[in-house]
Amino acid sequence: MSGWERVRPSRSRLGLNFQRGENGTSSSRTVRLGRVQPQAPGHRTIYLNDREANQIVRFKGNSISTTKYNVLTFLPKGLFEQFRRVANLYFLMISILSTTPISPVHPITNVVPLSLVLFVSLVKEAFEDWKRFQNDMAINNSLIDVLQDQKWERVPWKKLQVGDIVKVKQDGFFPADLLFLASTNADGVCYIETANLDGETNLKIRKALERTWDYLAPEKASEFKGEVQCEQPNNSLYTFSGNLLFQKQTLPLTPNQILLRGCSLRNTEYIVGAVIFTGHESKVMMNAMNVPSKRSTLERKLDKLILALFGGLFIMCLIGAIGSGVFIDRKYYYLGLGESVENQFNPSNRFLVATLTMFTLITLYSTIIPISLYVSIEMIKFIQSTQFINKDLHMYHIETNTPALARTSNLNEELGQVEYIFSDKTGTLTRNLMEFFKCSIGGDVYGTGLTETEKGGAQRSGIKIEEAQKSANTAHEKGFNFDDARLMLGAWRNEPNPDSCKEFFRCLAICHTVLPEGDESPEKITYQAASPDEAALVTAAKNFGFFFYKRTPTMIYVRESHAEKMGKIQDVAYEILNVLEFNSTRKRQSVVCRYPDGRLVLYCKGADSVIYERLADVNNDLKKSTRQHLEQFGSAGLRTLCLAYRDLSSNIYESWNEKFIQAKSSLRDREKKLDEVAELIEKDLILIGCTAIEDKLQEGVPSCIETLSRAGIKIWMLTGDKMETAINIAYACNLINNNMKQFIISSETDEIREVENRVSRISYLACFYLSKLHALSKMQVKKELKKCLEEAQHYFHVVSGPKSALIIDGKCLMYALDPSLRGMLLNLSLNCSSVVCCRVSPLQKAQVTSLVKKGARKITLSIGDGANDVSMIQAAHCWHWNKWAGRNASRNGYASLSKKYPELYKEGIRNAFFKWRVVGIWAFFSFYQSLIFYHFVTTSSSKGQNSSGKMFGLWDVSTMAFTCVVVTVNLRLLMICNSITRWHYISVGGSILAWFIFIFIYSGVMTPYDRQENVFFVIYVLMSTFFFYLTLLLVPVVALLGDFIYQGVQRWLFPY
Amino acid sequence: MNTKGATTSSAGGTDGASDSSSAAKRNSKKPKYSRFTQQELPACKPILTPGWVITTFIFVGVIFIPIGLASLFASERVVEIVYRYDEGCIPTNYSDQKLAYIQNSTTNKTCTRSLIVPKQMKRPVYVYYQLDNFYQNHRRYVKSRSDKQLRSRASESDTSTCDPEGTTPDNSPIVPCGLIAWSLFNDTYGFLVNNKTLKVSKRNIAWKSDQEHKFGSDVYPKNFQSGGLIGGAKLNASIPLSEQADLIVWMRTAAFPTFRKLYGKIEKDLEANENVTVVIQNNYNTYSFGGKKKLVLSTTSWIGGKNDFLGVAYLTVGGLCLFLAISFILVYVVKPRPLGDPSFLSWNRNPSGV
Repeated sequence: MSGWERVRPSRSRLGLNFQRGENGTSSSRTVRLGRVQPQAPGHRTIYLNDREANQIVRFKGNSISTTKYNVLTFLPKGLFEQFRRVANLYFLMISILSTTPISPVHPITNVVPLSLVLFVSLVKEAFEDWKRFQNDMAINNSLIDVLQDQKWERVPWKKLQVGDIVKVKQDGFFPADLLFLASTNADGVCYIETANLDGETNLKIRKALERTWDYLAPEKASEFKGEVQCEQPNNSLYTFSGNLLFQKQTLPLTPNQILLRGCSLRNTEYIVGAVIFTGHESKVMMNAMNVPSKRSTLERKLDKLILALFGGLFIMCLIGAIGSGVFIDRKYYYLGLGESVENQFNPSNRFLVATLTMFTLITLYSTIIPISLYVSIEMIKFIQSTQFINKDLHMYHIETNTPALARTSNLNEELGQVEYIFSDKTGTLTRNLMEFFKCSIGGDVYGTGLTETEKGGAQRSGIKIEEAQKSANTAHEKGFNFDDARLMLGAWRNEPNPDSCKEFFRCLAICHTVLPEGDESPEKITYQAASPDEAALVTAAKNFGFFFYKRTPTMIYVRESHAEKMGKIQDVAYEILNVLEFNSTRKRQSVVCRYPDGRLVLYCKGADSVIYERLADVNNDLKKSTRQHLEQFGSAGLRTLCLAYRDLSSNIYESWNEKFIQAKSSLRDREKKLDEVAELIEKDLILIGCTAIEDKLQEGVPSCIETLSRAGIKIWMLTGDKMETAINIAYACNLINNNMKQFIISSETDEIREVENRVSRISYLACFYLSKLHALSKMQVKKELKKCLEEAQHYFHVVSGPKSALIIDGKCLMYALDPSLRGMLLNLSLNCSSVVCCRVSPLQKAQVTSLVKKGARKITLSIGDGANDVSMIQAAHCWHWNKWAGRNASRNGYASLSKKYPELYKEGIRNAFFKWRVVGIWAFFSFYQSLIFYHFVTTSSSKGQNSSGKMFGLWDVSTMAFTCVVVTVNLRLLMICNSITRWHYISVGGSILAWFIFIFIYSGVMTPYDRQENVFFVIYVLMSTFFFYLTLLLVPVVALLGDFIYQGVQRWLFPY
Repeated sequence: MNTKGATTSSAGGTDGASDSSSAAKRNSKKPKYSRFTQQELPACKPILTPGWVITTFIFVGVIFIPIGLASLFASERVVEIVYRYDEGCIPTNYSDQKLAYIQNSTTNKTCTRSLIVPKQMKRPVYVYYQLDNFYQNHRRYVKSRSDKQLRSRASESDTSTCDPEGTTPDNSPIVPCGLIAWSLFNDTYGFLVNNKTLKVSKRNIAWKSDQEHKFGSDVYPKNFQSGGLIGGAKLNASIPLSEQADLIVWMRTAAFPTFRKLYGKIEKDLEANENVTVVIQNNYNTYSFGGKKKLVLSTTSWIGGKNDFLGVAYLTVGGLCLFLAISFILVYVVKPRPLGDPSFLSWNRNPSGV
């Protein structure tokens, strides 16, 4: 049950989308995944621009050190780390033993290899640490402008102190966590890139408090005096609560005013900020705390194997020791066992003899555990990842110039044993190229054209579809693949609901967080958006004639064509009063804006479920038809969003705005309060319509998925999409097909919906009923699960039963992940060859992953690209982090997997090459081989061995036996190779040759040292006899005959 | 990955600068092609197809059977006489107290026996003694020698490894020291054919490398067997160690508790049915540990002494290989299986098994 603990927390928060940030509930839930640093009580008070005042508190400096060792601690600490490996400790003990007189071997034989191994490991550690050190130094010594005496002084980063005012220039990195004070941009905004934190390259906007905008010039900035009260340093990247006490006013601070270390400044000449958290207290560094390395199953198995070997060794030594205790006797007078004999041979104390001999034997047989094992494995993995994976041309993607990148070499071998793949949909299975495809406005569907999913479905059902001729005036650009003349070029004015259309387009143009970039012309402008969906929607608005071209923190400028009257183009400036941002719990985004004519409107867009809950109770026909359209779009594999608006009266707005500001300036639980406030205004919405965006499948995905499933790999698709979309995408990429038995567990069943309706109708009692609803839903889910499980098991009893698929949605998953139901869910899902989880949150993704990893003890692989997948990825054994371009790596990786017999892969899953049975067979054959060595060499060496009649001695016989062993073992290695290259020949031949060269030299010289000359000339004596050559030919052949017959018979009659 | 992510993020400060400058240089991240990194080295894939298996078996059989026949033939030519004398050479009145007999220096140890030569033995006829239950390979025994001392006179006092036979009680070094030398075998054999003494030559009975390099020509026995407890033979103190062939042979310790050591050579043919009289001086004590003593007369061939094992083993293995080859061929004929037939694959044989 170690799986749960192994879920790593520290970066889980990193996983949440940066711009969508401030997502209080979800981040606090993510936190539950693992360790989160408890918030130190109290606040931190920082006096800005006042070093003396801050001195009392003694904040940490800004220099960082990520090294593990320093000059003094390197040796002890490094050695300690090395000896934490069981094998190294074992060899240390053997080395110590070998220096005592009970050792039969010279200490050198143990000390030298151990030292070599330690030396190599330590050099590696030192090298890595040195690189870290240099890195730290470079960072600590990079220069930054700090305000000193009304001037900008360039000082190294490490000299920076909390409270300092700094200037960061364009493309510069923030040296610490800064409070954003002023920017050269109008309206006190700046753009930052957070690629180093979360890998997202789109720019994020940050906005300084209006009161501090002026403190830009050094003279002015030096007058700045303020006090920041904020939370203690913590590792949550997306939260910040604090207040700025400035000119006797308390101004609330949000993450919007915080510039984190590690990010860089873009599109802004320079900004001025005040240092809040420095060095190791900065959020990014707090996130970098001790991370346990992932250990592969192989390594763990290896540990067990070594333990087993040690057990074997112990038994061998025990038998030997008892034997020697029994043997020793004064009757063997030639052993000189007089009264003064040393303890190890003293027949009067046989127990002591046995004990000491035990140690002797352990020292002697210690090589049964290969000392170089770990080092060799590490080297192999290193070469695998750097040479084979990273340089694989099949995994190189030309268009994006990206080779594969293995971030760690620890888990290479796991890749071959993956049994469960958890995949995000967007960007992994699909291309993450969002295109506005269809929409439904006021109950009418617009947009023709067929999605790939539909085409795929039609293909499967055997219907040929004529590619519809595209109408001439199709405007097709990136993000926009819409084909319906009824809406283009102002034609919507003639549609039944022109007003709805207008609202629809305005909502698209206003309700978003997109940044325009480049020229303010429709052709040249590019949109920077957190997600491609948003960009697609804004692009769509542009194509419909509502061109969003400029954004200031308070205004959005839209060039509207045909809005008032056909052919009229006018620039309209909408004042943005409030932005209620998107996050994964809210699943919606709202903007309150004021028209130039004073009209107050709340535009809201979001997932259909959340929007429908908040609609005013009018126009039910529209709701109904739109819902139908939503389902229709969903089944075509499109991503849908609902758009709604609400007209606000100014007094409602004002009273709400007060609460909003209050919530915004609260120090504790700000996110939660903001969400609650948002709830107050996001209600009684009027539905406008819905949008449908196509997310195109990656090339080759369906065939790849089929290959994978033939290989016995089970694929789980975890997606935030709605069930219909998810199922259709799953169909499109062959994850599910019609032959499969499908188990659908959905919260959209009538029973649950009924319960929900009942509860919502009496909403004032909601709190009370909510718990009841939970219980009811849980019961329902339990019932469903049970039913499905029974059915699934029934199917499995019928051997030739079809494969099955499980489809479950996030709500049910929430109940099903409950400890009481977890087992059932696991059982069910393990019986299914593919599982689709829709509407899941990042947290659930991680939970599902760890459920399988822990519960089924199987090796899992997570594939994802988005920030929301990080937690899932970390929970899994392996991961494939495809950033934008990385998707291709995955695609190509898939392609290379598709061999002729993907079923072969099952061997890997079954771990067939490293199973105990295999270990047993190896052990059996090595036992057989050692019997052969012993018997053949000894039996044949009891007589004279050449025509001179001379006899072999102890050392001749043992050298001969060892020569046979060397030859046999190397040939055996050659035998297990699946493909033999010249390097194999060289290494095998070289090993044998090296032994001969060694023994020629070693036995050929007399050393001046005090050693026994037992082996002197032994090999030459051996080689002067025919007998030696005959044995050398016979013994390896006989020893390998067993393996050969076994392999031959197995290959022939019982292939894998 | 976690740490890496964090460190690179803070490393960004420096990386950023170098990125832009060298961006052009590493424009293409396309890995270089090499056969090694693409794992496309020319390789043979030794799939053990039936063809290969049968070929290998036939090959091994064809090679091994002639070798086996040759070895067996050579071994058959060797004539060997083995005679156990440890029991028989005890006078009947001492049969209950063998130990007392052998340890008593006054008893008559001479023991005369006659052996019949079964077949003609071409010269040289090698004389061996064979001991049983004698652990020359015991760790304490093997270690108890000083190669330095044996090699050169200068290291005469180098007896630290020789315990307990390193020095005399008055601390003068024993040469040769150690248990091995101390327990030197001291039975002697004399041979008479038709009442004529056969000369037993001790020339060239030790390996040349031992004689020339391990035992010094300037090292003479000293204080040897002078203690209270006599382990075995005494050495002529006027002959250097390099000439003490019996000692050199003895000190090449045997690998197993049953071993033969070369005693000497008779440079004369022994005819079939000839009666050889052996005069044994039964001095060596194997009675305390119940070891057997045997006298062996043997001729040799190119393979060495009488050694059927090698020939039999070669023949057996060769025969087995041929047999396997034939049975594989039979199976192949009776129940052919095309290579790569997927119906034999495990997931096809047993669809529900996985």
